[in-house]
Amino acid sequence: MAELEFSNLSKSFDGLPALQDINAQIASGEFVALLGPSGCGKTTLLRLTAGFEQPTSGQINLGGNTVAGPNSFVPPEEREIGIVFQSYALWPHKSVFGNVAYPLEVRRVPRAEREARVKEALALTGLSAFGDRMPSQLSGGQRQRVALARCLVFDPRAVLLDEPLANLDLALRASMHEVFSMFHRRTQATMLYVTHDQSEALALADRVAVMEAGKIRQFAAPEVLYREPVDCFVAGFVGDGAVVSAEITGRSENKNLILKVLGQEVQSRSATAEPSHVSIRPEAITLSSDAPLRAKVISCTYLGGRFRLTLDVAGETLIAFSEHRASIGESVGVTLHDLWAFRDPDADVVIAKSLAHA
Amino acid sequence: MKALPKSRGSSRSLDRLLPIILLPIALIALGPVARLLLEGVGFGDGFTTEHLTTVLTRPSTGTALQHSLITAGGGTILSILIGATFAYLVALTDIRGKGALVFCLMIPMMIPPQITALAWMQMAGPSSTILKMFGLAPPLGSPQPLHSPAGIILLLGIQHASLVFLTLRAGLRMIPADLVEAARMSGASSFRVWTQTVLPLSMPSLIAGGAMAFVTALGNFGIPAMLGIPAGYATLPTLIYQRLVGMGPSVLPEVAVLSLLIGTVAILGVLLSRYVLSQRGFGLVGLSGNPLALNLGTARRPVEIGLWLFIFVILALPLLALAATSLIPAYGVTLTFTNATFDAWKEVLFTQPVTRRAYANSLMLATGAAAVLLMISLPLAWLMERRSSPLTRLLDGLIDLPYALPGVVLSIACILTFLNLPFTDLTLYGTIWIILLAYLARFFVVMLRPIQASIAQLDPAMEEAAASVGAHLGRRLRDIVLPLAAPSAAAGAILVFLTAVNELTVSALLWSSGTETLGVVIYNLEDSGETVMASALAMSIVLLIVVLMGIVQAGANRFPKGVIPWQS
Ligand SMILES: Nc1ncnc2c1ncn2[C@@H]1O[C@H](COP(=O)(O)OP(=O)(O)OP(=O)(O)O)[C@@H](O)[C@H]1O
Ligand SMILES: [Mg+2]
Repeated sequence: MAELEFSNLSKSFDGLPALQDINAQIASGEFVALLGPSGCGKTTLLRLTAGFEQPTSGQINLGGNTVAGPNSFVPPEEREIGIVFQSYALWPHKSVFGNVAYPLEVRRVPRAEREARVKEALALTGLSAFGDRMPSQLSGGQRQRVALARCLVFDPRAVLLDEPLANLDLALRASMHEVFSMFHRRTQATMLYVTHDQSEALALADRVAVMEAGKIRQFAAPEVLYREPVDCFVAGFVGDGAVVSAEITGRSENKNLILKVLGQEVQSRSATAEPSHVSIRPEAITLSSDAPLRAKVISCTYLGGRFRLTLDVAGETLIAFSEHRASIGESVGVTLHDLWAFRDPDADVVIAKSLAHA
Repeated sequence: MKALPKSRGSSRSLDRLLPIILLPIALIALGPVARLLLEGVGFGDGFTTEHLTTVLTRPSTGTALQHSLITAGGGTILSILIGATFAYLVALTDIRGKGALVFCLMIPMMIPPQITALAWMQMAGPSSTILKMFGLAPPLGSPQPLHSPAGIILLLGIQHASLVFLTLRAGLRMIPADLVEAARMSGASSFRVWTQTVLPLSMPSLIAGGAMAFVTALGNFGIPAMLGIPAGYATLPTLIYQRLVGMGPSVLPEVAVLSLLIGTVAILGVLLSRYVLSQRGFGLVGLSGNPLALNLGTARRPVEIGLWLFIFVILALPLLALAATSLIPAYGVTLTFTNATFDAWKEVLFTQPVTRRAYANSLMLATGAAAVLLMISLPLAWLMERRSSPLTRLLDGLIDLPYALPGVVLSIACILTFLNLPFTDLTLYGTIWIILLAYLARFFVVMLRPIQASIAQLDPAMEEAAASVGAHLGRRLRDIVLPLAAPSAAAGAILVFLTAVNELTVSALLWSSGTETLGVVIYNLEDSGETVMASALAMSIVLLIVVLMGIVQAGANRFPKGVIPWQS
C-alpha cells in the first residue's frame, strides 16, 4: 500500500496532448475511480502510472519515491503495481494456478510459501476449484477473477484496473462489484479504477476523478460530485438532472445566495459569490398544481416505485420524480429548492439588472 | 509501507542493449551483398570499370546470359501453366482430396534440384533402370534426352510450379465469393465465370507468382549443372561455378561481375512484374467468408484422375526410378527381384567417409543455422514489432534481399566478404564457417517471418501484465513471448532445416575438402559416375524431407496463418 501522487503530469502523443496538467493525490488504501467519456485520457493516466508510457512532463510519486519524473523513470517491473486489463491478459499457456503463481516465481518465493499464497488468493476470489484449468476453459467472469487473484497474490503497492467489467454482462457486473469491494476491504490496497460507467464509479469508489479532454474536472467523493459539481460538464455527466443558467441578484439569505432561475427567485447553495449556473437534481423539484412556475410534461417513464418526468420550462428541460403518472402535454406547477450554484469556467456571469434596479 | 526495491537496472539495460543486436545482424545479412556491389566497381583497387567491360564483352558471358534467359523464361511459362491449373482447380472447384494434392505438389519444391535432376535422369535415357525393367530403354549409346535446354526447362518448370500455385491460391482467396456468386446468378456458366471474372481478378497474383518462379529459376544451379554441363550448355550460375572451380579465387572480381549480372536480371524481372501489376490495379478487399466451390458436375472425376496422374508422373515416377536405381548392384544392370540389394545404401550411409561426413556437415549446418537463427530471430522479431524504429523498419525491408537474390550471387558475396576477414589475416574461405554464415544470411527471413507473424498476433497486454507483476524483459521474453511464439518458431526452424539440408547452390561454391555438404556430394558422385550411390544418398534425403514435412503438417493447426509455406 502506498499513496500515489501526480504533479503537473502531461502526456502528448505525437504532439497531440492526451493528458494536461494532472494534479491529484490518492491516499494509501483509497479506492479511486477515473470517470470520463471515451478518449478523455483515462487509460493513458493508468498506463503512465503503471510505467508502460513515459510522461511528457510532470512527475508521479508512489509512496514518497518518484517513479516517473524529469530525470528518473522506474520501469513497470520495479514499481510493484498490479494491473487488471479489460482483456484480462491471462497467459494462455499457463494454468490458472500457473498464472497466479507467476508473480511469486519471478520474486523467487520458496515453493511451499508460494503454493500457500496462491491457494489463499484463489480462495479469496472463489477460484479454488479451478486451479488446474487453462484460461481458455473459463468464463469471462472467472477469467477476470483470475486476473484479480494474479494481482493480489504479490501484495502490490497499488492496483490499477482498466474497465475490468466492460466485457461482462449486466448481472455479472453487479456480482463483480461485490468481489471488488471485498478485494479492497481485504487487501486495503490503493486502487485506481477506470470506467466510463458512472453508476459503477459512484457505487464503488471512495472518491471519483471526473475527466474530460485530458484534464481532471473534479476529484471528490461521489456524494459531493452529485450535490456540488464544479462545472457544467460534471453536473451534466454525473447523475440525473438539469443544468440551467442563473442570474445573480447580489442578495443572500441564510448563507444561501438568492438567484434568478427560470424567471423565479430561488435560494441556492454555492461555493462562489458569482455563479453562472445551477444544477437542478430531480430531488430539488417539488410538483404541485398551484405553483406559479408552470411546466409542460414531455415524457413520463415508470422507474418502479415512482415516475420520472421530463418537463419543459421556458425552453429548458428539467427532470423530476413524481408519485403519480402524468399525462403528456399536461401542465404542472414546479417549485425549486436546495439548488447548487457554481461558476462554469466558460460562462460569463450575468447580473439580473432589472432586479438590481428595482 | 515497503520501500521501492533498489533499481536492479537489469531490465533497463537489456532494453538498451537489445537494439545493439541489430548491428551484427545487419552486417551478416546485408554486409556481403553490399560488399559485392562495391566489388563490381573495383573496390580495393580503386574505382574502375575495367572488370565490368572485360567480362561483359566476352562472348561466353553473352551466351550464358542467353541460355539463362531461355531456360528460366521457358521454365517460368511451364511453372505458370502447371501452378495455375492446380491453383484454379483447388481454389475454385469442388474436387476432393485437396489437402493431399497440395502436399504432393509441394514436395518438388522441397526436394533439392540436383536430386530432382538425378531422379528424372533415372527415368529417361538408355541406362534408366525402370525403363530396362520393362524393356523400354532406348538402345545404349543413344543420348540422354534430358541433357538439353528442353530438359532444363522441363525440370525448372516442375520445380517452381508450387511457387506460382501458392501465390495464386493466396490471391484467389481474396476474391469475394459474392462477386462470383453474382456472376453465376446472372446465368454465366462456370467457364464464363472463370474467364470473365476470376481470371482478370487473379491476374496480379499470377504475375507475381510468375516473377517469383522466374527469379528462382534464374538462380537455380542444381538442374542446369546436372543437365546442362554434360551437354556443354552453360547458364550464368554454372558458368560462375566452372570458372571459380577451375581457376580459384583469382577470378573473383570477374565472377563478381557475372553474379551482379544475374542479380540485375533478377531485379529487372521483379521490377517488370511490379510495373505490370501497377498498370492493372484492382483493389480487392476482404476475405471471402465461404470458400468458392464451383460445381464441376460430371467432369469432377476425370479432372481428379487427371490431376493425380500428373502428380504421379512428375513426382512418383521419378522417385520410383531413383529408388530403383539405388537398389541395383551396379550401374547399367537390370533390376530384378533377385538382384535387388541395399548395398549402395549401406555403403553411402555407413561406410563411405565422404558421404558420412557430408551427412554430418549438412545436419550440423542445418541444425546450427536453425538454432542460431532461432536465438536471434526471437529478440529481433520482438524488437521489430514492439520497439519499431526507422532502423528496424529498414532492416525489415532489406532482410528479404539475401533470400530473394539467386544463391550464386550470395555465395560470391560471402566469398568476397570473408576471404580476408576485415582487420585480420584470417580467412574463412575453405572452412565450414563461411557456409554457416552464408546460410544464416540466406535463411534469415525463413525463420524471422513466422516468428514475426506470431508476435504481431500477441496481445501486448500479455507482456505488460508480466511486467507489472515484476518480470523484467529477459524473463518476459523467455516465459511469455517464447512459449507463445514457440509453434511458429518450431515451424520456422524446421523450414530452415529443410531448406538448409538440401542446399546446393551456396555450398557448391563455398565447399572444400572436408566441408562437403549433401548437395555437393550428390553432385560429385553423379559427376564421377557413381550414379547408384548418388541415387541411394538422394533417396535417403528425400525420405528425411518428407518425414520432416509430415511433422510440420501434423502440427499445422497450431501455427498462425501463413507460417507453413505449403498452406498459405
Ligand atoms: N499510443 C497512442 N498513440 C497515439 N495516441 C494515443 C495513444 N494512446 C492514446 N492515444 C490518444 O490519447 C487520447 C486518450 O486516450 P485514452 O486511451 O487514454 O482514452 P480513454 O479515456 O481510455 O478512452 P476509452 O474510454 O475509450 O478507453 C485519445 O485521443 C487517444 O487517441
Ligand atoms: Mg481506455
